[in-house]
Amino acid sequence: MPTPMNRREFLIRSGLMGVGAMSIPAILSACGASDTASDTTGGSPGRSLYFENWPAYIDEETVKLFMAATGIEMKYTEAYNDNNEYFAKVQPLLAKGDKADPDLIAPTFWMASRYVKLGWAQKLPLDKIPNAANLRPDLKNPAWDPNGEFSLPWQTGIAGIAYNTKITGREIKGMADLFAPEFKGKIGMLTEMRDTMGLILMGEGKNIETISTFDEAAVGFEKLEKAKSDGQIRSFTGNDYMDDLNAGNFAACVAWSGDVVQLSRDNPDIKFVIPEEGGTSWYDTMIWLTGSENSDAVAQWINWCYDPVNAARITAFVAYMSPVAGVKDELVKLGGDAAAIAESPLLFPDEATLSRLQTWGPLSEDEEAKFDEAFAKITGA
Amino acid sequence: MGAPPAVTRKPDAVGLGVMTGLGVGMVALGAGWVSGPWAVLVAVAMLTVLVLLVWAGVGGGLEVRRAIAPYGLLKPGILWLSLFFLAPLWTMAVMSLSSKKSRFDFFPSFTWDWSNYSRALTDFAPQFGRSFLYAGIATVLTICIGYPLAYAVAFRGGRLRNVLMGLIVVPFFTSYLIRTLAWGNLLADAGPVVAALEAIRLDGPLNWLGIMDNGRLLNTPTAVIGGLTYNFLPFMVLPLYVSLEKIDPRLVDAAQDLYSSAAGAFRKVVLPLSLPGVFAGSLLVFIPAAGDFVNAQFLGNPGTTMIGNSIQDQFLRQLNYPLASAMSFVLMIIISVAVLLYSRYLDTEDLV
Repeated sequence: MPTPMNRREFLIRSGLMGVGAMSIPAILSACGASDTASDTTGGSPGRSLYFENWPAYIDEETVKLFMAATGIEMKYTEAYNDNNEYFAKVQPLLAKGDKADPDLIAPTFWMASRYVKLGWAQKLPLDKIPNAANLRPDLKNPAWDPNGEFSLPWQTGIAGIAYNTKITGREIKGMADLFAPEFKGKIGMLTEMRDTMGLILMGEGKNIETISTFDEAAVGFEKLEKAKSDGQIRSFTGNDYMDDLNAGNFAACVAWSGDVVQLSRDNPDIKFVIPEEGGTSWYDTMIWLTGSENSDAVAQWINWCYDPVNAARITAFVAYMSPVAGVKDELVKLGGDAAAIAESPLLFPDEATLSRLQTWGPLSEDEEAKFDEAFAKITGA
Repeated sequence: MGAPPAVTRKPDAVGLGVMTGLGVGMVALGAGWVSGPWAVLVAVAMLTVLVLLVWAGVGGGLEVRRAIAPYGLLKPGILWLSLFFLAPLWTMAVMSLSSKKSRFDFFPSFTWDWSNYSRALTDFAPQFGRSFLYAGIATVLTICIGYPLAYAVAFRGGRLRNVLMGLIVVPFFTSYLIRTLAWGNLLADAGPVVAALEAIRLDGPLNWLGIMDNGRLLNTPTAVIGGLTYNFLPFMVLPLYVSLEKIDPRLVDAAQDLYSSAAGAFRKVVLPLSLPGVFAGSLLVFIPAAGDFVNAQFLGNPGTTMIGNSIQDQFLRQLNYPLASAMSFVLMIIISVAVLLYSRYLDTEDLV
């Protein structure tokens, strides 16, 4: 089993370089360059594939095995650091009808719905993906993709609270603990608006699945604003929150389940809890960008990943919930650490846990803008 | 009694015209005023003019050559500035007055939308204020740290001068980002700095002074200003060293021969002569520090964001290019005005 890598370090570093490299040119050359989009994977169309995914979101063997089994030349990169930043990166190309480099990307569901809405995703060649039938029933046909034609989830996970028992000295139970005065200046929140606000709103007794206007969520934003101006919140972070948690700078923070599973292997003081009031569940989902002609390779890849044997290998490494049914049995068959993971309640939650999870419903473009704006104002950027 | 020979010649109308034309052509290409066949036409026209200019310079008589030579020397600079400074500036100006039809409209249309500027100035006033405050404090701190350092190396370094300068500069060969992240580790709550301060019981007074916040250093304004100071220190030391090193030590001796105290000699001789170095160093520190977003992001908290963070956020997360352009422009204008005032104050206009 490969050791858990340092996902967050990689993230912040590469993310920042990316920011520096692309911000200004992206704007200033809005009228000029577009011919950078053609030098992708080489090879004949249909026999090559380019998948751009989040960092450390796959094991080291799957891509090699896939290439050996199918003869498809596959390029796999990990430059997908942040939903909004990636969107800003490909928008200039896709908005003009040009082709972006990757064939496949795996945005979080709400961002995937934006691509679909803007017409930047193609219908998946489902007739060539028989394994799509293995999709977990609860993930089938989301509201924004009612026929399940545009997307197939990559991994799914839970946002909850992670805490460092060395600093807290006690168990954390719910959202009220994050706002407790004893942890002033020791609390972290995610820049991923839906996870941070989702947890806060559920802490206020709201049902985020039915929230559709900003006014319904305003109380949560007020609560966050107050906590920020009181100095309760130390910082808003991306995936790099784990460094602060590990170093003891954060007593507790909003966190993603798989990261904590990975981290607690090294540091047993780190614990993850789904707040009493409930946690959010989210999924990153594969979409096929417009302009890509590698339909056959896309189909073979997704089909490969939806084979429970391959899916189990990925799960054993990334420690997130697999969207593929039957992974648990395969993990048990793998034995060792993988079999231990099969017992984790964070990867295979029981009914009682599942009933405490909520997923954000769709927000209209105007309402989403209000959410983002209000959130940006609080995070201070 | 004839007039003294003119040192600078009257600008040659032809050369000046050619330069202006080439500059405008370059901006037109860069800013996308022309496209497709017209762009080719403009490029060909510019090339023809260039060839003609060179041909006239080479083939013409001494008078012609003399008239044209300065423009020949200006040519690379003008073309470069037009393409990489004026054209982007123009694009940004247009963008800052545009508005978006919808949130994901990637091609905002130009509508003389001044509200971008009023939003930049009202919504982001705290960030602007913080940026200049932090950058200002950092500049003063780099002078306080850098001046004695440069002075010691320049006047007391002897043969080791170059080695000492090397020692100051070499740590900065490491990536800017890595150094900032390393500061995060040093200042962490369980890190060495906080532990040392607690061991010598300095945390109480520092908390009282507001330098530490609730026993923390990381994610406080102190950490952000400290990071800025550290990261931009070489930009202060190098120009200071250059201007101090040029001062003849015998001038200080002369001042003391004339019954000046050591402090007086420094105040009346060394300091004025090194002011250009202070000025250049201040610019090199203040301008990038005011627009910095790395230190505030990794060493700060949600209450210490600087304007660079806000511009980055508007560009990359909110995708509000018009507003971000307006904010960039406001930042540029404020910095330009500040620099002009500063140069007036230090009386070093010849530097700008």
